[in-house]
Amino acid sequence: MRGRPSLYTDYRKESAIFSNLTQKFWFLALITFAFSLVFVASDYWILLLTTAFLISVAAWGLNIVSGFAGQISLAHGVFVGVGTYTASVLGGVASSYVIGYELDMIIWLPMSGVVAGLIGLLIAPISVRLKGLNLGLVTLALVFIASHLFSNMKFITGGAGFGRKAAKLVLFGFDFENGLQIGGTLLEKNQLVYLLALAICIFAGIGVKNLTRSKTGRAYSAIRDGDIAAEAIGINLFKFKSSAFALSSFYAGITGSLMFSVSGGVEPGVFNLLYSVTFIAIVIIGGGGTVLGPLFGALFFSLLPGAIQALLHTFGLVGQELSLSLGQIERLIFGLFIILFLIFEPRGLWGVWFRLRNYFKAWPFSY
Amino acid sequence: MIIFLQATAEGLALGAVYSLVAIGFVLIYKAMDVLSFAQPALAVVGAGLISSLAVDRGIPFWLALVIGIFLTGVLSLVIERTFLRPMVGEPVFSVAILTIGIDILLRTFLDNWIGLNPRYLGDPFPSFGNFGSISIGGVVLKYLEISAFITAVVVIVLLSVFFKKSKYGVAMRATSFDQEAALAQGIDVGKIFALVWFIAGLLASFAGFFITGGFNTLTQLSFISALRALPAVVIGGLDSIPGAVVGSLIIGLTQGYVAYFQTNLEGLVGFSLGSGFSLVAPYLIMFVILLIKPDGLFGTEEVERV
Repeated sequence: MRGRPSLYTDYRKESAIFSNLTQKFWFLALITFAFSLVFVASDYWILLLTTAFLISVAAWGLNIVSGFAGQISLAHGVFVGVGTYTASVLGGVASSYVIGYELDMIIWLPMSGVVAGLIGLLIAPISVRLKGLNLGLVTLALVFIASHLFSNMKFITGGAGFGRKAAKLVLFGFDFENGLQIGGTLLEKNQLVYLLALAICIFAGIGVKNLTRSKTGRAYSAIRDGDIAAEAIGINLFKFKSSAFALSSFYAGITGSLMFSVSGGVEPGVFNLLYSVTFIAIVIIGGGGTVLGPLFGALFFSLLPGAIQALLHTFGLVGQELSLSLGQIERLIFGLFIILFLIFEPRGLWGVWFRLRNYFKAWPFSY
Repeated sequence: MIIFLQATAEGLALGAVYSLVAIGFVLIYKAMDVLSFAQPALAVVGAGLISSLAVDRGIPFWLALVIGIFLTGVLSLVIERTFLRPMVGEPVFSVAILTIGIDILLRTFLDNWIGLNPRYLGDPFPSFGNFGSISIGGVVLKYLEISAFITAVVVIVLLSVFFKKSKYGVAMRATSFDQEAALAQGIDVGKIFALVWFIAGLLASFAGFFITGGFNTLTQLSFISALRALPAVVIGGLDSIPGAVVGSLIIGLTQGYVAYFQTNLEGLVGFSLGSGFSLVAPYLIMFVILLIKPDGLFGTEEVERV
């Protein structure tokens, strides 16, 4: 089939993870590149990329429930919070006002996903009762209720305005703080977290890709495209909506467990409405309902501060009094991109990528 | 008893303020099937405009109030023209997210302008000391609260007259009933959309003034108060104006009662509800009501075709 890459002779080939050798090659090349970055990139960019990989996992989670299964959730940030606090309690250090058990990462990392997933399962029946905008509104209420709980459960979260330390990064008795000596180079904590985040991101991504190829994934799409019709052809709405919520919250929980270990501490005020909206925006900017979209969105969102910094440097604006702070410029660009993508390219960055790729595939012909 | 009356009075005043934002929500939703998350942001932007005119520029308060409210209406109209018009016919939720984008833009500019210190909105009666208050049988009523209540009542009466009697009001009702049929009858639906957003902007900035006026002051957190109109609309039903008013009163009263009787309530349920519970209670009510009646208390039930 060398000359005809789009010709599939059986179904198995069409639904393979990589439909051709080129994709496999680029996948491996990019992963190798990403792993080797740890030796080259500066601490600042390593940190940004770590956040990008972690956020992409949560964004994939939201994409499962909203992009694939079509159930709107404005409360994704809450599940990230649940993951964070599960990890902090299991893996964090106890102090005079918070509890913590200092367990190994191999316990708290999966557990934070599982606990978030269970809470997601608890919420899921609502999505069977409500649809569309109403579901979005209920999850909005959930954000406020959850942030109230987060601020008031002081023995877990440390309370509003104070916060607590996140989980300690100790894997199989090896403390990330000590760093790891490989050959002549010492990998510091941040670089180790980067590698961990990258590995998790790859696994999560392959998981999502596999989901789209499975019966469950197809059931999700059917529910998204018309839930009454899906029910009529024998898809159990309760079962699949619940599993979508559970799976999405699991992803969010995994992100939450590691997200704040990088910076060290977490304050419950973080998990507000804007935090949840951020994930929706990431999925929209990246491209909802696609596998690569959330990754693009997460990279865009996380690397934006770095890009702005770099731009300011090139124009020699650093240190000058700007009327807007860096964070505000970020938020402006972010808000503007939500609007522009929704108006001009609802498929998001993935859609841009898709068009670019097709343009160059047929180049120099326009079609 | 006096505490109860005090809580009721404050709750009603709050409800009146919420109803102003809530009616804006409903108008937009009825006309365009759009849930505009930008409405609370418009409320605080309105307050910001009034403050910047009255305090920073030194324009007489009443003039600043009128200009500020009018400008917010115009801003709302511009938003509809530039951002919302291209989205006609798109899925409801996409447009809702788009309005969140608008909300982020508006509030980023506003937060930058507000800064860290609270902003005042000016005071037409300095001798009263920030609008002052009156005591009736031990119940303290702020003039600001009374005027909020009166304004809400007047606005609701004016709007219902507008919908019944005026040409544009009737056209608006026709549009919200069926856009295409209205278009076929010669109604300029685009103009109606613009008008709806303009009115919603006016109402929002009125509410913004009452939320941040006097001692309340405008801070970066004022937005959270304005957002509480959202549970009000949802409780009442997204497409019902009486529903919006009733929902707002429910939310306002809940907030008032919970604020005053939280300790009694805690004694009743047997555990601590946490500080600031009165601010979450509206969302709790919205949560429960949506589960019981998904279309709100007064909303039309949605019929879905396969």
